[in-house]
Amino acid sequence: MSLEEEENAAELKIGDEFLKAKCLMNGEVARILDKRLDQLQQFSDDPSNQISQVFEKSHQYVKRFSRFKNNDAVTQVREVLSRYQLTEFELVVIGNLCPETVEEAIAMVPSMKSKGRGLDDDAIEKMLHDLSLIKKFE
Amino acid sequence: MFFHIQLERNMQLHPRHFGPHLRDKLVAKLMKDVEGTCSGRHGFVVAITGVDDIGKGLIREGTGFVTFPVKYQCVVFRPFKGEILEAVVTMVNKMGFFAEAGPVQIFVSNHLIPDDMEFQSGDVPNYTTSDGSVKIQKECEVRLKIIGTRVDATEIFCIGTIKDDFLGVTSDPGAAA
Repeated sequence: MSLEEEENAAELKIGDEFLKAKCLMNGEVARILDKRLDQLQQFSDDPSNQISQVFEKSHQYVKRFSRFKNNDAVTQVREVLSRYQLTEFELVVIGNLCPETVEEAIAMVPSMKSKGRGLDDDAIEKMLHDLSLIKKFE
Repeated sequence: MFFHIQLERNMQLHPRHFGPHLRDKLVAKLMKDVEGTCSGRHGFVVAITGVDDIGKGLIREGTGFVTFPVKYQCVVFRPFKGEILEAVVTMVNKMGFFAEAGPVQIFVSNHLIPDDMEFQSGDVPNYTTSDGSVKIQKECEVRLKIIGTRVDATEIFCIGTIKDDFLGVTSDPGAAA
């Protein structure tokens, strides 16, 4: 249980396993689950009994909260954000919540400001600007 | 947050499934057994996206069942303490409110709702600021921070707060109506 106590996403303490894992933005999860649902419907006459409640709820959630509806935009968001020195976890939090100001971004991802990461306010500002452009032209 | 991770599981298969479709049977069983489950360590398994490797089977003495170690890729949802995410309000009462983010339930106690929001009972129970500008009710979308998780065998339950900067209601379907 000691692992549980130390866990803190604000300081990126999420365990080695998850720190190395690929994080997914809501839009990316929606893409995967949509594809999976198509497959199920193709291969089974009655897909409803194969879909778990967890799948159903996750699917509804990511559809509702995905800021970027189209697939190209989702790919673009990851591309743009990966130019800044963010960890996977930070990238996805920003991609999901789309903060509008530097102050808000730091409140959402406090770890960005820790231990001299080379991410100053100007860089964050530029990142948010890039993000808002994708949103605008989607 | 959703993650794409590799997990491993030992699958037991009855000898009647041995044959040209052994792999298909194994994958079908894996999906049936694993999807929708939840563990404290990895969170909720939402969907299996691929099978990387099926190891050599080992016959279990006495039963005839064979155990195969299977490595697979899957999408999991795992909430973390300190994580900020969006959720949908599902129930409001005088103790606080419940919200849902995908498969996980999050409770926000009234101590963790800003002090200027008061509980209003009635047909649609809600928390409202004194000037009425912000209202939390069922179906609202809120941004919250997870401050605690409780894990039991089949579920993860979270405690959240909206008493911090940049947290709270993000959209209110009731206000538009």
